[in-house]
Amino acid sequence: MNDTKGGFHVPENLMVTSTMAFFLVHSMQVGVGILGFEKYIAEDAGYNAWISILVAGLAIHLLLWMIYRLLQGCGGDLVSVHNFIFGKYLGGLMNLVFSVYFLLLSLTVLRTFVEVIQVWVFPQLNTWLFALVYLLLAYYFIEGGLRVITGMCLLSVILGLPLLLFKFFPLQIGDVNNLYPMIDASVTDILSSAKVSTLSFLGFELLLMFYPFIKDQKASKKWAHFGAFYTTMIYLISALVAFIYYSEEQLQHVTWGTISLWKIVDFPFLQRFEYMGIGLWAYVVLPNICLGLWAASRIPKRMFKIKQKYVLWLYLIILLIASNLIDDRRMIDALNTFTNQAGFYFLLYIPVLYIMMLIMKKVRYRHGN
Amino acid sequence: MWKWKKDKGNEFPEQNETVKDVTKSLEQSKDFMVYPLEGGTKCFLSYFETMVEPKVLNEIILPALKQNALHSLEEMKDVIPVEGLAITNDVDLFRQRVMQGHVILQMKEYDKKFLTIPAVIAEHRKVSIPEVEFSVVGPKEAFVESLDTNINLVRKRLTLPQLTVKELNIGKMTKTRVAILYVDGVANQENVNTVMQRLKDIEYDQINDSSYITQMIADNSNSPFPQLLDTERPDRVTGSLVEGKVAILVDGSPHALTCPTTVVEFFSASDDYFLPWHLASGFRLIRLFAVIFSVLSTPLYVAILSYHHEMIPEDLLATIVTSRADIPFPPILEVIILELTIELLREAGARLPTKVGQTIGIVGGIVIGTAAVEAGLTSNVLLIIVALAALASFTTPVYQIGNTIRLLRFPFLLGAQMWGVVGISIVMSFFIAHLIKLQSIGRPFFAPIYPLRFHDLKDAFIRLPFNKQSMRPIQTRPVDSSRFNQKRANEKRDVDE
Repeated sequence: MNDTKGGFHVPENLMVTSTMAFFLVHSMQVGVGILGFEKYIAEDAGYNAWISILVAGLAIHLLLWMIYRLLQGCGGDLVSVHNFIFGKYLGGLMNLVFSVYFLLLSLTVLRTFVEVIQVWVFPQLNTWLFALVYLLLAYYFIEGGLRVITGMCLLSVILGLPLLLFKFFPLQIGDVNNLYPMIDASVTDILSSAKVSTLSFLGFELLLMFYPFIKDQKASKKWAHFGAFYTTMIYLISALVAFIYYSEEQLQHVTWGTISLWKIVDFPFLQRFEYMGIGLWAYVVLPNICLGLWAASRIPKRMFKIKQKYVLWLYLIILLIASNLIDDRRMIDALNTFTNQAGFYFLLYIPVLYIMMLIMKKVRYRHGN
Repeated sequence: MWKWKKDKGNEFPEQNETVKDVTKSLEQSKDFMVYPLEGGTKCFLSYFETMVEPKVLNEIILPALKQNALHSLEEMKDVIPVEGLAITNDVDLFRQRVMQGHVILQMKEYDKKFLTIPAVIAEHRKVSIPEVEFSVVGPKEAFVESLDTNINLVRKRLTLPQLTVKELNIGKMTKTRVAILYVDGVANQENVNTVMQRLKDIEYDQINDSSYITQMIADNSNSPFPQLLDTERPDRVTGSLVEGKVAILVDGSPHALTCPTTVVEFFSASDDYFLPWHLASGFRLIRLFAVIFSVLSTPLYVAILSYHHEMIPEDLLATIVTSRADIPFPPILEVIILELTIELLREAGARLPTKVGQTIGIVGGIVIGTAAVEAGLTSNVLLIIVALAALASFTTPVYQIGNTIRLLRFPFLLGAQMWGVVGISIVMSFFIAHLIKLQSIGRPFFAPIYPLRFHDLKDAFIRLPFNKQSMRPIQTRPVDSSRFNQKRANEKRDVDE
C-alpha cells in the first residue's frame, strides 16, 4: 500500500489505519469556528442559512473528491503534487505559501481559543503564559508524530460527543416556528451565505499532507467523506438549534452562539455549563493546532531535507510571538477574517490544481508518445 | 531506558585458580565444612552446612559411603541414590555447585577431580491465599517465593506440551533465576524475542524482586505507569499465556509479570471472568468510574470553588458555602492539606504491622477527620470528597496502578489552581499524549482505545459473554488468534426444533 511514487517512504509502523481518515478530516474541520458561526452565516440568508450549510457541505465533498484524484494522480503529498505540476521552483514557492497558510490556521485557532477563554472564563488570563503551555503541549504531541496526533483527533471526537447531546436543552425552550417559511431568501443570498459557511469547513485540505500516512488509501476515501459529512451534520444541527432558540435579530448580537447556548444546560448539581464546555473544547482545539503545525513544519522538511524538529521550534516561537502581538478583539476579528479569506482562495485553488493536473497529464502523455 | 550498557568486566575476575585456592577462600566462612571421611570409603567432603539438607546428607549420602568400600568417584556415583550427580574437574563448577548447596566429594584433599551431589534445602513458604488480589469466587492460590513451585502452579493449570519455559540468570552478584513462559504456537515470537533480548541486556548486581525487572525492561522507565502487569494469581497468568502473552517469573518473588499489556487491563480483575458477563461489566465500569472520580474530584473542587462557583446551582452552593464559611484557607491549600493527610495515613498504614495499622485507620479516619472539621481547618464537603476519592482509588484490582493513581491527582490539582477547568483539560491532554506514546514490549499501551481496535473492545471497558470472545486479543498479535468458530456459536435453534 505504500506510495513511493512521491520519492519518499513512510514506514508501516508510523501509518494510521484508513478509518482514522474520518477523525483526521472531521477534527480538523471543527475548531473554534463552530463556537460562533451562527451569526455570520445568518447575516445574508437569515434563517434559511441552514440550506447554505448543505450547499457548502456538498461543495466540500466535491473538493475532497478532487483532492483524492490529485493525490492518486500525482502520488505522495502536496509537495509531490506541486513538483509534478509546477516543477521545482514555482512548485517550491507554492509549497511555502501552503506552509505559511497552515501556520496561519494554527495561529487563528490558538489566538481565538485564548480569546474565548479570556471572554468567558478568565478575563485576566495571561496570553503569553497560556500560549506557551498550550504550544509546549502541542510540541509534545507533534514530537510523537502523526500517529499520536491522530490519537488525539480520535479522543477529541469522543470527548466532544456529549457536547452534542447538550443541544437538547435549548431545543426544549426554543420555538420551531422560527424556521418557517422554509425558503424565503433569494438564491444569491443563499449562495453568499454558503460562501461564508464554507469557511467553517476549512481544514480538510490538510489531507494533502497526511495522505501518505494512511495505510489503505483507497479505503480511506470513504472515511474521509464520512468525516466531512459528519462535520456538515454537526454544523447543520448547531445552526438549526441556534435558529430555533434565538430570534433573527437577537442572533445578530450573539458573538458566540454555541457557547451562549451551553448556558441553558442545567442539572441539579451543575449549571452554567459553558465553563465545562470550554474546558472540554480544549481537547477539540488541540488536534487542530497540532495538525496545522505538523503539516506546516512537514513541508520544509520534505523540501529541504532539514529536521522537522528545528522547523517546528521556529514555528512554535513564531506562533508564541504572534499570539502575543494580537491582543485586542479588533485584531483577532481581523485575523479571523483574513484567514477565512485566504482559506477561501485556497479552496478555489484546489479545482485549479486539479484542472492543471489533468492538462499536464495529457501533455506528458502526448510527449511520451 | 531498558538498554543497559553491557561491559565485559566481571565483578570477581577469575584468575587461574585451583580447587585448593577456592576451598581456602571458602573456608573463611564459618558454615563451610571440609573434612575427611573415615570408614569403608576414604574421601573428602566439602559443603555449606547452612545450604545442605541434613536428611539427604545423613540418611542417604553418608550411609552409602560408609556401608560400601568405594575406591573411585565413578563407583560412588553409581552407589549414591541421588539424582543429578556429576563428575568434573572444572573449578568454576566447583564454586558454583557448592554455593548452590551441593555436597562435593574428592578422593584426596584439594583433588582436581570431584563429584557433586545436589542436597539443597528445599525450604519455602507454603502456597497460600492471594492477599493483594483477593477474590471471593475463583481459585485461592497465590505464587510463592520459589520459582519451581511457581512454574509448577502454572503448569498444573496449563497441561500443554506447547507451554515453553526458558530460563536465564540475571544479576552479576545474585545470579537470580528468571523464567520466561509462553505458549509456543500462540504467542508471537517477536514478543518473546523482545523480552528475552531485554532480559539478556540487563546488567545489574542484584535482582531482589520481579519489580526490579519491570523497571529495567520497561519501554519508558520515566513513565509513572507500569508497563508490565504484575500479578500473584496463577490463574491470571495462565489466562494471559493462553491469550498469547509472555510471562516472566523471578526466583524469590511471589509476583509474576505478564506482557504486553494495556492500560485497560490494569482495571480488569480476575473476578470479571468468574461472574456473569453483565454483572462483571457493571463492576468494571464502576471501577473505571471510581478511578476517574478519584483522580478528578479534588481538582474539580479546587477549580470550581476557586474560579467557577457560578457552575454550582444555588441550593447546592448554599450548602458548600456554609461548610466553608469559617475556613481560613483557599480551596487549594485546604485540599492539599487533606490529601497529604490521607497519603500520610496510607503510608503509615502500609509500613505498620497489621494490628497497629488498624488503630492508625481509626485515629486517622475518625479522630483527625472530625477534629479537623471541628477546628475549622477543612470543610465537611471536602472531607467527604477526599475520603471518597481515597476509597475509590482502592478499587483498582492491580496494586501497582493504584500507586500511580494516588499521585496522579497532584499535577491535576496544580492545573486546576492555575486555569480552572481549562487547566485540568491541559494536564489531561499531557497524560493522553503520554499514554498514546507509551508502549509495552513494543506494543501500544493505550490500545484498544488508540489504536482503535473494535475486536479488543469486547474485553476492555465491558466484558462480553464468552461465546462472543472467539478471537484472542489483537494486542498481543497471537500466531493463532482463533479460540473457537464464531459462526458455529452464532447458529441458533429455531422454534420447536
